[in-house]
Amino acid sequence: MDMSGEYRIAAPREAVWKALNDPAVLKECIPGCEELDMISDTEMTAAVTSKIGPVKAKFKGSVKFETVNAPESYTIVGEGKGGVAGFAKGGADVHLAEDGGDTILTYTAKAQVGGKLAQLGSRLIDSTARKMADDFFGKFSEMVGGQANGGITDDELDPGLVEEAKSIAAEDAPGHVVEAIEEVEHAIEERVNDAEERVEVAAAKGLLGGPFVWGLIALGAVIAILAILN
Amino acid sequence: MGVDGIGARALRKEDKRFITGKGRYTDDMVLPRMAYAAFVRSPHAHAKVTGIDASAALAMPGVDAVLTGEQLVGDGIGNLICGWMVHSKDGSPMNMGAWRALEPEIVRHVGQAVAVVIADTQAQARDAADAVIVDYDELPAIVDAVAAMEAGAPQLHPEASNNLIYDWEIGDEAATNAAFEQAAHVTRMDIHNNRLVPNPMEPRAAVADYNDAEEHYTLYTTSQNPHVARLVLSAFYNVAPENKLRVIAPDVGGGFGSKIFIYPEEIVALWASKRVGRPVKWVSDRTEAFLTDAHGRDHKSHAELALDADNKIIGFRVQTVANLGAYMSLFSSSVPTYLYATLLSGQYDIPAIHANVKAVYTNTTPVDAYRGAGRPEATFLVERMMETAAREVGLSPAEFRRKNFVRSFPHQTPVIMCYDAGDYDATLDAALKAIDHDGFPARKAEAASRGKLRGMGLSCYIEACGIAPSAAVGSLGAGVGLWESAEVRVNPVGSIEVLTGSHSHGQGHETTFAQLISERFGLDTDSVNIVHGDTDKVQFGMGTYGSRSGAVGMSAIVKALDKVEAKAKKIAAHLMEAAEGDIQIEGGELKVAGTDKKLSFTEVALAAYTAHNLPEGMEPGLKEGAFYDPTNFTFPAGTYACEVEIDPDTGKTEIVNFVAADDFGKIINPMIVEGQVHGGLTQGIGQALLENAAYDESGQLVTGSYMDYTMPRADDVPSYQLLTTETICPGNPLGMKGCGEAGAIGSPPAVINAITDAINNNDLSMPATPERVWQASRAGLQQAAE
Repeated sequence: MDMSGEYRIAAPREAVWKALNDPAVLKECIPGCEELDMISDTEMTAAVTSKIGPVKAKFKGSVKFETVNAPESYTIVGEGKGGVAGFAKGGADVHLAEDGGDTILTYTAKAQVGGKLAQLGSRLIDSTARKMADDFFGKFSEMVGGQANGGITDDELDPGLVEEAKSIAAEDAPGHVVEAIEEVEHAIEERVNDAEERVEVAAAKGLLGGPFVWGLIALGAVIAILAILN
Repeated sequence: MGVDGIGARALRKEDKRFITGKGRYTDDMVLPRMAYAAFVRSPHAHAKVTGIDASAALAMPGVDAVLTGEQLVGDGIGNLICGWMVHSKDGSPMNMGAWRALEPEIVRHVGQAVAVVIADTQAQARDAADAVIVDYDELPAIVDAVAAMEAGAPQLHPEASNNLIYDWEIGDEAATNAAFEQAAHVTRMDIHNNRLVPNPMEPRAAVADYNDAEEHYTLYTTSQNPHVARLVLSAFYNVAPENKLRVIAPDVGGGFGSKIFIYPEEIVALWASKRVGRPVKWVSDRTEAFLTDAHGRDHKSHAELALDADNKIIGFRVQTVANLGAYMSLFSSSVPTYLYATLLSGQYDIPAIHANVKAVYTNTTPVDAYRGAGRPEATFLVERMMETAAREVGLSPAEFRRKNFVRSFPHQTPVIMCYDAGDYDATLDAALKAIDHDGFPARKAEAASRGKLRGMGLSCYIEACGIAPSAAVGSLGAGVGLWESAEVRVNPVGSIEVLTGSHSHGQGHETTFAQLISERFGLDTDSVNIVHGDTDKVQFGMGTYGSRSGAVGMSAIVKALDKVEAKAKKIAAHLMEAAEGDIQIEGGELKVAGTDKKLSFTEVALAAYTAHNLPEGMEPGLKEGAFYDPTNFTFPAGTYACEVEIDPDTGKTEIVNFVAADDFGKIINPMIVEGQVHGGLTQGIGQALLENAAYDESGQLVTGSYMDYTMPRADDVPSYQLLTTETICPGNPLGMKGCGEAGAIGSPPAVINAITDAINNNDLSMPATPERVWQASRAGLQQAAE
């Protein structure tokens, strides 16, 4: 599986780099993170409890930094074990660029999954991992810079929804523009909720299977860690 | 049910219990004090096992034991073996690596078992299996069979350098090469036969019960051949001597070949039962089935067909690499050799054939026989080549085939087989007529007016069933004889039990076999019971696979019936004071021809058992047994014609018509034969359009459930048109050929030939998913435009 992403963080690069090196910040930002320990300058371990639908489980992952070029870039490799659910391992290249007072964080990650995770879930991993990464960066940007741009709302705004927004705006009197915008926002929010609900419903039906979901969480945790750590 | 003889469409006797949910399967067996097994399986395709920590699992509720490969090997349980010896062309025996039922050192495919947990309930066993901590040192893995032979590829077994199991050949290489030198046209193709998961409805299961007092084991298992299972478990795996091991295969919900083989789980269940002193049950879940049931197919071939100026085939040259997975399953060696390359002559008179087959280890689930076993691979290769060659030389595919049909019998091919009987024109004619071949251009034009692409594809398959005679297969390396046995027991009240070494796991033997007795004695099929699947009841038998139960199993019954009939006639003649030659059996009665003297079958049977008045010197009773060893394989053949319509916007293929014209020789129950053909065609169409066992490059099976592995459903297949023609098989007393696999053998090339015809692009591999068809159709449309 390959994934990549780009986030704009409203903070100077030095601050972002520092935050990426701060276990306390990371622990706060990784959804469900319970432990996060630097065991050396280049290694850390994490334990993450996550919940998707009805399933809640604890995962352990470890990450190593291989090339560090502060405050600009690093390459990391990591591995997460979800017990019977299988394993996930991979690497990521993370790059920080200055853009005025902001920082543009880009990453490309490559992950491989094994065991039940591969047998049952390989086709669903991309979307799940992306969601976890987005959750992480959303929180991270909030903490570091106040708010983030990137992830699902910017990249994946449905053109149809935009058109709908335009047509609603055009049709309605200026006094109703505010309402129209709210409606669009609501539509987007609903869409995101829908997607989440579908995952939950599927999980509840057992379609995603217990161990499989655990595995997804493990992978997501690994990806999130891979994408952000230093 | 009534008197239903040969040719009657008798309803299946066994369906009453099956469709009312009253079948008795292995998982239905519940024994006192029974424990449950759950296996700890490798998540890695290739890794060293560096440690197993069972302490947490052992502390969990209900856990009785956690057993490992070290203990298994220490207790002297033998390695799993492949029972068919194949020699490389240099004369060396095949290179078989060690396969242990629980692996203590190096795992070689995802899902390989390294330990087993025995607990009071299934849930406790599975929970505890999750808690067993296994440390692995990962090794590089190899999935592709061609790449596995390259220098520097990861090595699986020290016995097989470059992962090569054997490098085998058949046919006359020099003569074939000479034919190519004279060829006016040569057709060349690279052909991949996709890997499949068998997916019987009932997953594998085993209940093992060790009786300490008797030192005796009973094994209930999902087997197609319980006697072979007992033989192998006893002779090679050292579980117990045969007289101390009873194997029972009760109702079994489908096998398709995957339940021929003896797997690690049955061995472990038996061994564990003795270890823990309790009966042990194991039932596979569906993902375990995907990971451990022997897969099917996975061939990569390069084929070349040489034609003379008159478009007669003068030579056929094939190189095949067969992926056998991580270990050699029980009959895996024979599938890409004697069950495959011996059929490369197809229905055609080809003077020179040479095939080279390399069998290779990879870090994937072992591959063995799956419905058709080698013949689908041969048929796909031959029939794709025939269609392609016809297109290249500008002949209609039907005409090109006709030009090359075998028409005189017996016909000795250059690849061992001697075809005994057939009429290939008859099935081709029947199929073309039924699918309205002449009207196809008009239908194609009409479809085009709606923006759709229509195509027609043919497949003229031949296959070999019955795998015999024993001496011949023995000379080719088989470790067993392939005869069959039967015992006919007439009870004192005239009802009959037939004990057969065949095994029914969906084939309807209880009905078809009973029809033989009904035909012979005029008895109601309800007064006949077919007994199978229990080594304590049935003397011996080779089980059911290779479409052999009709041609071989029923022939054994016929031989036993001959003996019963002869003795019954003697008794009747004696009682009615008539000449033995004047006794006729009709409507359940033994009559003296030309008189009104008669005795019912019951009266004769009773007389045999009371023994008050038997001919001088005759033993009491009416029970006879027979062993039947055929003189040759049987050769079912036919033509399948497939018409497809493709939506070029989506690539979705719809099979709008499918005609199967089969020559199965004599047919006992046409309804059951049609059921077999329906199932076979659907499996073949599944392979052609939908199914694919996919591994990623690290050896992870990424199609491990029905979310990712697509089985055919009712809306994927058309309402089939089935026809039969009949040439009698001279090799057995009933003239039968076998029908169990033909559908799966003949259908994939018909479908792919039709699709490639529709999209005007011959470069298409199975499964022809909408995405692949869409991609290929774009290329085809481009070619047509240029």
